[in-house]
Amino acid sequence: MPETLPFRPSLSRRDFLSTSAKLGAALLAAPYIARAATPGGGARTLNVALIGCGEEGRVLLNASLKIPDIRFVAVCDIWPYNRTYGERLLKKFGHDPKPFEDYREMLAGTPGLDAVIVATPDFMHAEHTNAALRAGHHVYCEKLMSNTVEGARSMVLAARETGKLLQIGHQRRSNPRYLHAKNHLLNEGRLLGRINNASGQWNRAVTEDLGFPAKYALPEATLHKYGYTNMHEFRNWRWFKRYAGGPISDLGAHQIDVFNWFLGSNPSSIIAGGGVDYYKTHEWYDNVTAIYEFPTPSGIVRSTYGVLTTTSAGGGYHEYFMGDEGALKMSENPKYTKLYREARAPEWDRWVEKNFISRPESGEGAPAPVKPWEKVRPKLGGPSRTSVVDVRETAALSAWDIPVILDKPIHQPHLENFFEAVREGTPLACPGESGFATAVTVLKVNEAVAARKMLTFSPADFIV
Amino acid sequence: MNNSSPSKPNREYAAAFFLLRLFLGLRTLFSGIEKFEAKGTYSLQNYSDNMTRMAQGITGASFLPLWATKSFAFVLGYALIVLGAALLLGLRTRTTLFLTGLVYVALSFGLMAVQESEGVAWLGVHVAMLAGALALVRHNRFSLWPDKLD
Repeated sequence: MPETLPFRPSLSRRDFLSTSAKLGAALLAAPYIARAATPGGGARTLNVALIGCGEEGRVLLNASLKIPDIRFVAVCDIWPYNRTYGERLLKKFGHDPKPFEDYREMLAGTPGLDAVIVATPDFMHAEHTNAALRAGHHVYCEKLMSNTVEGARSMVLAARETGKLLQIGHQRRSNPRYLHAKNHLLNEGRLLGRINNASGQWNRAVTEDLGFPAKYALPEATLHKYGYTNMHEFRNWRWFKRYAGGPISDLGAHQIDVFNWFLGSNPSSIIAGGGVDYYKTHEWYDNVTAIYEFPTPSGIVRSTYGVLTTTSAGGGYHEYFMGDEGALKMSENPKYTKLYREARAPEWDRWVEKNFISRPESGEGAPAPVKPWEKVRPKLGGPSRTSVVDVRETAALSAWDIPVILDKPIHQPHLENFFEAVREGTPLACPGESGFATAVTVLKVNEAVAARKMLTFSPADFIV
Repeated sequence: MNNSSPSKPNREYAAAFFLLRLFLGLRTLFSGIEKFEAKGTYSLQNYSDNMTRMAQGITGASFLPLWATKSFAFVLGYALIVLGAALLLGLRTRTTLFLTGLVYVALSFGLMAVQESEGVAWLGVHVAMLAGALALVRHNRFSLWPDKLD
């Protein structure tokens, strides 16, 4: 897994424009070039099946199609509309998947299967995953691992009993920028000093409920057979308690997982507030704010997390780690990522030399723009004028960049990590045990909202 | 009025010119030296890189051909050093001031071609100071190689 990309020399405007034009052309052509590779050939080809061809299943399919030596041999979805979509997409790229409505028939009727990707609603994760594991297949299961702690626990146990691999889809754990930040900035360089606080947010504007073409509506009997009340709940399962954990689980789980992962700790307590304040057709809280306490070897880290689904508030989703020497704002979107050095911290020039960080080329903290014909002026010492602030306000911090960018779809490295583990026995980035700890951390938020008081965790809660 | 006073050197004018010559000499000399600098180090390679960037930058943003901007750029640094040193030492100061003025006008021309008004104004200040110095050059003193004044 590449963690650090080589440092690029600075470019002139002309070089930049020329390179950008070539890159743009390459990017436009990339999907076709990458997908043009026919399945099979090269390394041992893995036979893969997908259960759940909905929104997330399609994202995983599209990411998987860019990975060589993966052959999709089956797709399964209870809704023919989704199933046909998945089937057609795969056929377009040279695969010949057999379609199934029932996962049991798929597992029984697909010989030579190596791995199963589970992208169904959360309440089915445990059932689908455990069945696939017990059928002798490795499983990549989307997050949140399950909508219940017991469901998640059963998945870890099934993986252990069968000796098969179970990867949970917290894809940030395979993102080279996140890996670089954790391994080099936090652990090796300790650029943030002592981390005292963390925060995270995901703000999303109001969205309409998902609809469906009337002629493709599933019969009531089929819906009931697979555990759904009606078509509206089937399409909008994320918002209903019997199927999922709501926005804190759908959106927050990714980021709360980063809290656990980056801090190397599980929380000891949680207090949270939230409610169904806006939407009339949902059961789950549309806005939730939580405060965790994470005991770490350096001391308590207080972490706030907020998920809003009624305002984008300018957009943005990030996880922010704040220490006494620096602060790191991480996001899957590089434009929200930023690193700040506190004035009291030692100079970071040596980390620039080691390619751990870079000086920003533009925006906040960037040097004054230089015209194409100008020479870069030597840096002068002393405080800048912008650092002269009111006595109560801390001086503006210097901002830095992380010189590692993911140039693939965000789920692709995590799938690559899984397939490599299947082939080579290399470690999983997010094995079931890690996914379980995150599920426990996340599901407690809803419990804390309902309880309207602080709840505590015991270290044993996170262990299977 | 004393008849001898117009021909007698005026100390105030001489001092004013000396300050002007000192400033322009230092400014011109260091303008040349800094062209050899990059990231705090000085070398011929840096000079080549800096001047290539300058020539390509101007050509890329104007009608000026690369051969012209390159030819000018590769002479510029050395010319500024020689002219700056000549001003400080007082070598044919009148001629040197005029040549230095021509260099700054040439630089202004380059920035006019790329519509860099701020830079043009900045260089215009230099040209104005050089023109003022030329007007005062008859009061020049402390020269190693004085001009032949009329």
